[in-house]
Amino acid sequence: MTATDIPHTRKRGVWDRIGYEERSALVFLAPVMAVLMAVAVFPILYSFYISLFRIKLTRPNRQPFIWFENYTDLLGDHEFWMSVGRTVTFTVTSVAAIAVISLLIALLLNEQFRGRRFLSTILLIPWAIPYVANALMWKWIYDSGYGALNGVLYQLDFIDKYMVWLGDQDKTLMLIANAFVWKEVPLATILLLVTLKSIPDDLYAAARVDGATVWQRFVHVTLPAMRPGFMLVMIYETMMAIRHFDLFFVLTEGGPGSASHVLSWHIYVETFRNLSFGSGAAMSYVLALATFGLSYFFIRTLGRRM
Amino acid sequence: MDTAIQVSEQSRRDAEGYRRARLRALWVRRMVIFVSAVVLSIYVLAPVVWLVSSSVQTEAEITSVPPHWIPEEPTLQNYRAIFSATEEEEITYENRSGVDPVSGGFIPSTAKSLLPAMGNSFIVACAVVVLNLLVGVPAAYAIAKIRFMARNASVYFILTTRVIPDIALVVPFFLMIKNLGLLDTLSSLIITYLAVTVPFTVFILVQYFEGLPDELDKAARVDGCSRFQALIHVYLPLSLPSLVAVVLFTFLTSWNEFLLALMFTQTEASQTLPILLAAFTSDFTISFSFINAAGVLAIVPPVIVAIVFERYIVSGLTAGAVKG
Repeated sequence: MTATDIPHTRKRGVWDRIGYEERSALVFLAPVMAVLMAVAVFPILYSFYISLFRIKLTRPNRQPFIWFENYTDLLGDHEFWMSVGRTVTFTVTSVAAIAVISLLIALLLNEQFRGRRFLSTILLIPWAIPYVANALMWKWIYDSGYGALNGVLYQLDFIDKYMVWLGDQDKTLMLIANAFVWKEVPLATILLLVTLKSIPDDLYAAARVDGATVWQRFVHVTLPAMRPGFMLVMIYETMMAIRHFDLFFVLTEGGPGSASHVLSWHIYVETFRNLSFGSGAAMSYVLALATFGLSYFFIRTLGRRM
Repeated sequence: MDTAIQVSEQSRRDAEGYRRARLRALWVRRMVIFVSAVVLSIYVLAPVVWLVSSSVQTEAEITSVPPHWIPEEPTLQNYRAIFSATEEEEITYENRSGVDPVSGGFIPSTAKSLLPAMGNSFIVACAVVVLNLLVGVPAAYAIAKIRFMARNASVYFILTTRVIPDIALVVPFFLMIKNLGLLDTLSSLIITYLAVTVPFTVFILVQYFEGLPDELDKAARVDGCSRFQALIHVYLPLSLPSLVAVVLFTFLTSWNEFLLALMFTQTEASQTLPILLAAFTSDFTISFSFINAAGVLAIVPPVIVAIVFERYIVSGLTAGAVKG
């Protein structure tokens, strides 16, 4: 639609120049834009502004502007980098486990057999339950006194006395990762299953004619065709694992010692226990940028279709 | 002639061997599927079943070693405490042990705030659902059906807001909510939950609207409908499945949200169910059988929703994730 289509002859302002389509789109999009400006764009900019001050809620009258000192302080902050390291460990372990387990389940659910519907329905249970409920459930399972994990291992004779689980520095992070994986596997499975179903049968038929074994068909047909599905799972689950907070809060509060003191927990402690909002904002800004960077990296390197 | 017989004999034996190999392969396949199906069911169900089972055990049973997988004397004491507590009955150690002398488990006085907390969770979730629909539907329609200049820019803008981690929003949100005087109100939760739900809503709907033919829009407009009328009368009735998906996701996301609620709620006036659950788990005096009962109450609504609406959820999840 061009400007000449407009019948009236009043002096053309910006409003007329942007055309009918743009104007109606503007009306339809205005609410969502207003909401996102208020709850996403403004907060993220405001957060950057806060991060340039030394804000201690315990000293409300002295809040000096310190440029990027909160950020440069992070470089030498040993505890910060340790927590980043733990987040990386947690994320890599979880995402790898999720990818493998959900691939196995997706392969199973891709077959035709009785009870398949039942399985795919109950698979939604972990996905649906709240993270806090998931956390208290695992806290009870891992309980060193009366928990199910000890009970099962004891009754199957794998251990001869009850063991400490979450209280053991070497095991904590992996046990939390296990609880995280249990809850995230269903979604990953659904995403992989869709990709599996979209592989044309002709490919398998052709491979069979060429004399490929089951394993060869899996490696040369199934896996390459599942690339987009895997990509999606990697991106989504990495984002979820990096920012994850709920399990750490309920299961260990960063402990024992600092064994599960991950980045998201560090931000929480810095902000709401040390009441140091400036540096808390700086850290969460770093986390947000890392998240953006990672998703950009994934999209670029794995060539995602948008 | 001799050789001809031998050949047919040979091929007969080959066919026999082939058939046997096939049968064996089928049998192996069936066994593999059966075993993995059983393993998967146990993996998914066992933790939940254990949670339910220990929520109906007495304090004596729950602290037995090794654990009783199936309760020997099941009791609904925990649930009774949660539901009857609303009738102004103060739950104390004394009247608790009067009901069940075996139970040394302490049921906290906060047991009575569980139902109000569920109520809060429910109100917040419903409000977030309604706002999401009001804001998301027109936006998705515009992006899918109107060819305007800044179309791609708006898509990328909404996409970008989806990647912002909630923990990065916590500090500015807290200061904003505090300055607006909204701390410890349900509104603070409703407003901030929009940040974590709206982008996803828009993407599910855009995906669906794009699948509906453009001609419908044109036909409706030729018949004299405005864009708004075309959306309401033509597209909305057709997009019911995606609307259901949106309602489910936003409801579940709000119902399950913890981090933001942890920041903004302080009292019973606004505490949601996850907050109360987390508070229970950090109190060492509270019996785990009670905590588990509270946990069961928290997982029942979302699990029912998930099972009843499985089809919508699976299609919505795929659409939303593929796009976003």
